[in-house]
Amino acid sequence: MEYVNPLTGFRVDGRRPNEMRQLKAEVGVVARADGSALFEMGNTRVIAAVYGPREIQNKGQQVNNKEALVRCEYRMAEFSTGDRRRKPKGDRRSTEISLVIRQTMEASILTDLMPRSQIDIFVQVLQADGGTRSACINAATLALADAGIPMRDIVTSCSAGYLCSTPLLDLNYVEDSAGGPDVTVGILAKMDKVTLLQMDAKLPMDTFESVMGLAIEGCKAIATYIREVLLENTKRLEYQRG
Amino acid sequence: MVGLSEGEKHFIRGGIAQDIRTDGRKRLQFRALSVETGVIPQANGSARVRLGATEIIASVKAELGKPSILHPDKGKVSIFVDCSPTAEPTFEGRGSEELSTELAVALQRCLLGGKSGAGAAIDLSSLIVVDGKVCWDLYIDGLVVSSDGNLLDALAAAIKVALSDTGIPKVNVSLSAANDEEPEVDVSDEEFLQFDTSSVPVIITLTKVGRHYIVDATSEEESQMSSAVSVSVNRHGQICGLTKRGGAGLDPSVIFDMISVAKHVSQQFIGVLDSEIAAAEAEADE
Repeated sequence: MEYVNPLTGFRVDGRRPNEMRQLKAEVGVVARADGSALFEMGNTRVIAAVYGPREIQNKGQQVNNKEALVRCEYRMAEFSTGDRRRKPKGDRRSTEISLVIRQTMEASILTDLMPRSQIDIFVQVLQADGGTRSACINAATLALADAGIPMRDIVTSCSAGYLCSTPLLDLNYVEDSAGGPDVTVGILAKMDKVTLLQMDAKLPMDTFESVMGLAIEGCKAIATYIREVLLENTKRLEYQRG
Repeated sequence: MVGLSEGEKHFIRGGIAQDIRTDGRKRLQFRALSVETGVIPQANGSARVRLGATEIIASVKAELGKPSILHPDKGKVSIFVDCSPTAEPTFEGRGSEELSTELAVALQRCLLGGKSGAGAAIDLSSLIVVDGKVCWDLYIDGLVVSSDGNLLDALAAAIKVALSDTGIPKVNVSLSAANDEEPEVDVSDEEFLQFDTSSVPVIITLTKVGRHYIVDATSEEESQMSSAVSVSVNRHGQICGLTKRGGAGLDPSVIFDMISVAKHVSQQFIGVLDSEIAAAEAEADE
């Protein structure tokens, strides 16, 4: 299958190789959570909710009493995928993604400021169309910021792939299932540090560099957008306060 | 989980006794309802319903399947409920399984009728394509995104809206196939049949706090309840199903009184829901 049209250079969904899907974010979508956000990348749509910092519920999980405990659960809605199938909760893929999100967010949360407390991050996928991992991390960042949890920096994530000898930004489900390499990168936007890096399939060294560079560009674009959304939200809150 | 002080508990109970609740509502008044359709493009029909701070997403997916041997002239409908941990941290992992099952069974009881499929609120015979061979399987999923009490009523409302948004593809069957062969079916992607939802009931839960009962309880109010009765009523005022929850026993005469109140409230609620559906559809058409 042609994933990049050789004549026009457009992809299957009409995007250019270095073009991201349309982003949409909304803060404060779950009324009773401490912080929450909805994040959309094209047809991929996720909700993140943050509860905490609060007292540790299960004392056995406390690692030490100097840092906050960060927990994360990733869940996919029954109707999020194209063909409906019932999966047991806590399958291996979900567990792995939960772990990845937790580790990525932990890197930016100032956990030592909140000893003996726990922060829960719950992400719920409403629609999956490739890049759920990235969308979840972006949603979690917004939700954490909404909850007012101290963070070093904004973490954003984006994926990139390599199909038809072209590096492609932000793969959708069709491109993701094409079997090419899929590089997911998470960065601390301002500090310019990589906190998450995953790739499947093989790729020559120099190509990898350009693909990863593209993904980082994507992360930075998302960071700019997220900052805009947060600024807008803060302005709204200030206006409401009068 | 609701943590309330003695004073707060007293305030909630006292307010209900005096017909002015903590959020200013009367005992038989619903919270503000907002409805949105077509939120999940991948599904045949979907809806998001907000009732105060309670938020539900419902989706309907139709797949071609085989009717059961016992009822060759009827399609199949299954209802599932999932409580997302975004709504409540205690729903994490397997924590929501009990509640999800309780809600799903209550919905099934109210919408699908008995085992024989008789008295079902959804017309199962309209889902049949070829008698005894091909039928539509409807999968109805409810997702609790945010919870602030009264989940069952909100779920039933969301399912009603999602069903009215549902378009089932028109199917052309080639009749040439011999009797014992699988008939060939051609699913149209352009023509859709709208689902008749006029007979789909709504559920009204009356929560008993002290000596009085209230509709559309928030989770704070639910924490003070002694028992609750959920009545599903359709447009014609017929009762389609009933569930009693909560520990305390109820006097039979009180139950009859609650049913008649639920019937009265339901007609107002159906009116509100219908106008919201019409508004959401008009918005989606634009």
